Amino acid sequence: MIADMTLSRLLAADVGYLVLPVVLPLLGAFLMQPLARVSARGARILGPLLLVLSAGITAQLWLQLGDAPFSLAIGGFAAPLGILFYADRIALLFALAIPVFALLFWPEFGPGAGGRDQAARRDALMLLLVAAATGLALSGDLFNIYVFYELAAVASFGLVALTGTGRSQVATFRYLMISAFGSVFALLGIAILYMQTGTLNLAQIAQLAPETLPNPIGLAAFALMLIGFGVKAELFPVNTWVPEVYAGAPARVSALLAGLVSKLAVLVVVRLLVLIFPQPEAAELMLVLGVLGILTGELAAWRAKDFPRMLAFSSIGQLGMVFVAFAISGEIGLLAGLAVMLHHLIVKSALFGLAVRWSGSLEALSGAAGVSPLASALFVLFALSLIGVPPLPGFWAKILVLIGLAEGGTPLDMMALMALLLATAIEASYLFRVAIRLYEDTPTPVPPPARRDLGVAALLGALLLAVTVGLKPVADRLGEDAAQLGERALYIQTALPSHVARKD
Amino acid sequence: MRNLASLLFAGGLAFLLLAIASQLAFGTPSMRVGAEILAVAPDEVGAANLVTAVLLGYRGIDTLGELAILFAAATAAGVVLGRRHANARRDPPGGEVLRTGADLLFPLLLVVGLYVIAHGHLTPGGGFQGGVILAAAFFVIILAQPTRHLRHSLISWIEGLAGAAFILIGLWALVEDGDFLAPLLGQGAMGELLSAGTLPLLSLAIGLKVGAELAGIMAHIAEAEAPDA
Repeated sequence: MIADMTLSRLLAADVGYLVLPVVLPLLGAFLMQPLARVSARGARILGPLLLVLSAGITAQLWLQLGDAPFSLAIGGFAAPLGILFYADRIALLFALAIPVFALLFWPEFGPGAGGRDQAARRDALMLLLVAAATGLALSGDLFNIYVFYELAAVASFGLVALTGTGRSQVATFRYLMISAFGSVFALLGIAILYMQTGTLNLAQIAQLAPETLPNPIGLAAFALMLIGFGVKAELFPVNTWVPEVYAGAPARVSALLAGLVSKLAVLVVVRLLVLIFPQPEAAELMLVLGVLGILTGELAAWRAKDFPRMLAFSSIGQLGMVFVAFAISGEIGLLAGLAVMLHHLIVKSALFGLAVRWSGSLEALSGAAGVSPLASALFVLFALSLIGVPPLPGFWAKILVLIGLAEGGTPLDMMALMALLLATAIEASYLFRVAIRLYEDTPTPVPPPARRDLGVAALLGALLLAVTVGLKPVADRLGEDAAQLGERALYIQTALPSHVARKD
Repeated sequence: MRNLASLLFAGGLAFLLLAIASQLAFGTPSMRVGAEILAVAPDEVGAANLVTAVLLGYRGIDTLGELAILFAAATAAGVVLGRRHANARRDPPGGEVLRTGADLLFPLLLVVGLYVIAHGHLTPGGGFQGGVILAAAFFVIILAQPTRHLRHSLISWIEGLAGAAFILIGLWALVEDGDFLAPLLGQGAMGELLSAGTLPLLSLAIGLKVGAELAGIMAHIAEAEAPDA
């Protein structure tokens, strides 16, 4: 009876249920290890079950409440005193994508190598990562964002160290040090903002920013937060952890970190840029770091000798492009950024999925097409889209960035444009090199990807093709998303309705 | 070369931070939110300790996040710390004086820890601080007698259920009141032990979870193999 009532209220889409996609995975994570002592099978299905439930709740809320943004004051304490969640279309899109991708790249459904205890820890860490990522997508409070960012970081340390080899532990330690360094920077930036404005609420800071932050102090705060949140987003100077970690971690975890978690860090930076730091200097800083990321990432990928490292370096380059795109002023920048970001989410996740069994050196892959033609075909598809060969969506995303840069027209924009073209050539060179190797006519001992990874890659490949066919509606929708993301006044109005009213 | 680069970097960073610091107006904080909380918190939450009102009321989800970070760290430590071989060397026990001292300290630390937890909404303290004191009680025991085992399953259950209790109290408020972690049960008279609604319960949940977690990490480290063994 009570369960029935709860269920019917759940179906009635109360805005308050927006916390559930964050809170339910946390609950599952806390209970995972004791549950595993009672029922190993129950613990095994708990994680995926909660992910399905979270995705369902988000989808339900989105369907019922429509595309207009809404906010939720947690605990009933109205912002700015309390913390609020802000759900616009992009936030909801990510809140939906997170459990779905976590399910697609769930490390293992079985007990795995480490036995029952290790499996329970792994699943608990996965759920913590999901909760943290969802919190990052939804939160509208700067310190709350920092808390979820830290949670994502600590959970990923554990996941990355899962393989238990000495190499992966060294990589994890390096990752931990760089992350800690970045966290201090981010916290310092947040502290400066708090000192200058007296609040942590994003909307209220946005309201106060024009008076308090258009000065070197504000810019310094942005730079500190850019570096801090940039660690997870693989931003240029703080991305040295990337290759070793992705090469050493379980490939599905790498897929999630490179595909999903990096994008949420980018989303935080974009919110800061849109709401609080409209100064051109802030965007220029991001542009320069993005260009350096593109060049270093692609050149390193060109030299890489094994498959996961090549993907890791290429991911640095692609995220550099995301930063460049978001640095373009105006709606085209946001649209280009979103397009590149979502494209990379789909493509790079799928490629890391293929790397689960192809983790060795690139030379070992020669002739893999003979063993697994579908996987090789999918690799070629994703590679073509990454390079930006028309009519695949990657071409459209890249063209948007190029158009935006050309319209901007400043010397910096032109430099970024040249870098992007150069990077495309390098990308084509090393990706084709691998593709040719796959189709070489040598018998090979390389194992075909597991059926599950192949299925996921095929699913994402089908999604990519579907977008290619239906590019027009997708582009329109993404344009609306970008417009909503860029509306500073709408964010403030939605997050602090009473405040705005009181001020007038 | 590498050292020189590090030195240059550190120097540049220090200069940058000093430059920023010189621009900040220290000593005159902008009390936008702080002043408002001072004005409304006693009526809205009813906790005599306003810090707790902020931690468990206004910013309750932050506290949940921090609890989760600690849990993630403990779990990640569990992933990394290996299992010991059955015949691996153990540290020798600490001797009569240390053992008796530990046995004497144990109940005292438990009482202090529980006191700090229970009075979190009244005086400085609360779940995190009290939880650490609870864990310290077990640290003392383990350090004095390295051969003693803590029961992992019990620790794991306390930890899991305490964490779940925090969230379930929040979900109860969601069902009852429509808001996750909204304070329930009425505020009572400010300054009483039983006041401030569900805040003491949340403190208790945090205290037990933090205590069990830290004690669990310590037990894990104590059982992991020494590198020279």
